[in-house]
Amino acid sequence: MDMHVRDDIARLVEPDRVHRSVYTDPAIFDLEMERIFGRAWVYVGHESQVPNVGDYHQALIGRDSVFMVRAPEGDVHVLFNRCAHKGAKLVAFPQGNVGKFIRCPFHGWNFKCNGALHSVPVRDGYEGTRFDAADPEFSVRRLPRQASYRGFVFASLADSGPDLETFLGGIKTSLDNFCDRAPTGEVEVAGGVFRVWQHSNWKIFFENLNDTSHPMVTHESSVNAARARYKAMEGETKMPFRLLIIEGNGEPYEFWDKLEMVAFDNGHSYMGAIFIPPTDPVSLAHIETLKTAYGEARTQEILNIQRHNSIIYPSCSPHTSFQQLRVIRPVAVDRTMVEIYTFRLKGAPEALFQRAITYANVVNSPSSNVMPDDIEVYARCQQGLLSDGGEWVSLHRDAGRDRPIPGGFVANGLSELPMRNQFRAWQRYMTQEHAA
Amino acid sequence: MTAYAHVAEFLYHEARLLDQRSWPDWLGLFAEGGMYWAPLAFDQPDPVNHASLFYEDALLREVRAQRLEEKRAWSQQPVTQAARIVGNIVLLPEQEGDVVVGSTFHMLEWHRNGQRMLGGQYTHRLRHTAEGFRIVLKRIDLINREDVQDTLETFL
Repeated sequence: MDMHVRDDIARLVEPDRVHRSVYTDPAIFDLEMERIFGRAWVYVGHESQVPNVGDYHQALIGRDSVFMVRAPEGDVHVLFNRCAHKGAKLVAFPQGNVGKFIRCPFHGWNFKCNGALHSVPVRDGYEGTRFDAADPEFSVRRLPRQASYRGFVFASLADSGPDLETFLGGIKTSLDNFCDRAPTGEVEVAGGVFRVWQHSNWKIFFENLNDTSHPMVTHESSVNAARARYKAMEGETKMPFRLLIIEGNGEPYEFWDKLEMVAFDNGHSYMGAIFIPPTDPVSLAHIETLKTAYGEARTQEILNIQRHNSIIYPSCSPHTSFQQLRVIRPVAVDRTMVEIYTFRLKGAPEALFQRAITYANVVNSPSSNVMPDDIEVYARCQQGLLSDGGEWVSLHRDAGRDRPIPGGFVANGLSELPMRNQFRAWQRYMTQEHAA
Repeated sequence: MTAYAHVAEFLYHEARLLDQRSWPDWLGLFAEGGMYWAPLAFDQPDPVNHASLFYEDALLREVRAQRLEEKRAWSQQPVTQAARIVGNIVLLPEQEGDVVVGSTFHMLEWHRNGQRMLGGQYTHRLRHTAEGFRIVLKRIDLINREDVQDTLETFL
């Protein structure tokens, strides 16, 4: 890429606004695949999804279909989903088990779970040819880098760059708190996965995850419906959980502005929440298991960390208090797939997991009463941004008032800091010709 | 009318209420404690320990029905239209005196962003009451339930 184009990309992002083409231009999307998804640590899956030898889980890193698989030695390998022979995709299900070896369905080449070639049929036909079983050319390729943090497996298509923990920086604390909420310190994926299409650019969703000035407007329909149904419930003095998680979007601006918005380098951020000592039996039973495991002081320390959505840019978003992880896979400039996983906190009461399932059903499922209005407004942005009715998208709210902290910035809850922070990382990735 | 004809008439009536977006009348077809369930996985054992496309009691069904008619339901401008065809109706073994009926449905749905076809199997558990059948459980097994989904806003 020549200097001229690089400067053009740099000019698409200003401290308080971005040019509309970052959401709509297919050439920019192609470059994102190369320079962002080709370099960053991208979430693959959680180790608990492949508990047994041969278990695999498929994922998408940029345009590459990959899968992680559990080897007989116990380690998890992240491999390209491509046979070294003719290029056929090796695994087909979102998750499954390869058996003893990874066997290509086309000509029966067999590979070990670390990708190494195990056998090919009628071997003698290769004698005296350039075929060499020991040459990595004839093995399933491993991702250049893979690493795991507390069971969360990430991989990178780049040979070099910061290690995973350096990349995560301050947002590591969200993964820590996610796991610390289990009395055993361990979590596992359970209860299935929702997969939902968004007809919009992946960045629109990332921006929305920490956008506190949209809920009361976008979600008016579901908030109104939840409030009306609660009002109609005779003799109820406490809003049931399944209504509360819909109605919460109706909080006024003052409520959201009091929350803390914390942003870190590399595009990560989280939105703080306020700790309100719970009184419901499910939370109380959970807290008891924490106190038994960690003691009073440490338990309070864990519970004091209250967060709404965290963002691990550019691939996933954990929600620590409802044990959800959303995975974001850009498919085209105007098409994004979102996967929603629910986790069990190992050692916590089963009712806590069942509550997380209810949360997933009510808030994050494709049939949620909350999400359709989100997906609708994202699509309206995607369509509206194609219009010549304007060139720029505003990120002005509380611009210039972000307060620096080590490794990032902090701001008031209504600030658009997380969006500016994402574009700070975006601009850095996109203008670098080579991986760091 | 035969028992079979009664059941068929009920299913056609129910589909018609949904096609017409007559939510209050449709909500009234459920027995007390009746559930509306669309599993997410092909071999899903239960709705409590596994996520579902829908798992709704009366309260959640009422929320959905009301939201669909809210003026500022942005994704319902204009509202989703649908036409359901129910067929292949078979009576299955009764459960504790309730009628259990299996059927196949096709649902053509139009939204501003396009038209799509949904389909699968219905299983209704119906209770005899003085007012006619009431739904104890309506289970919907969409054939593409494990696929990536566009939003499912109305009842299936």
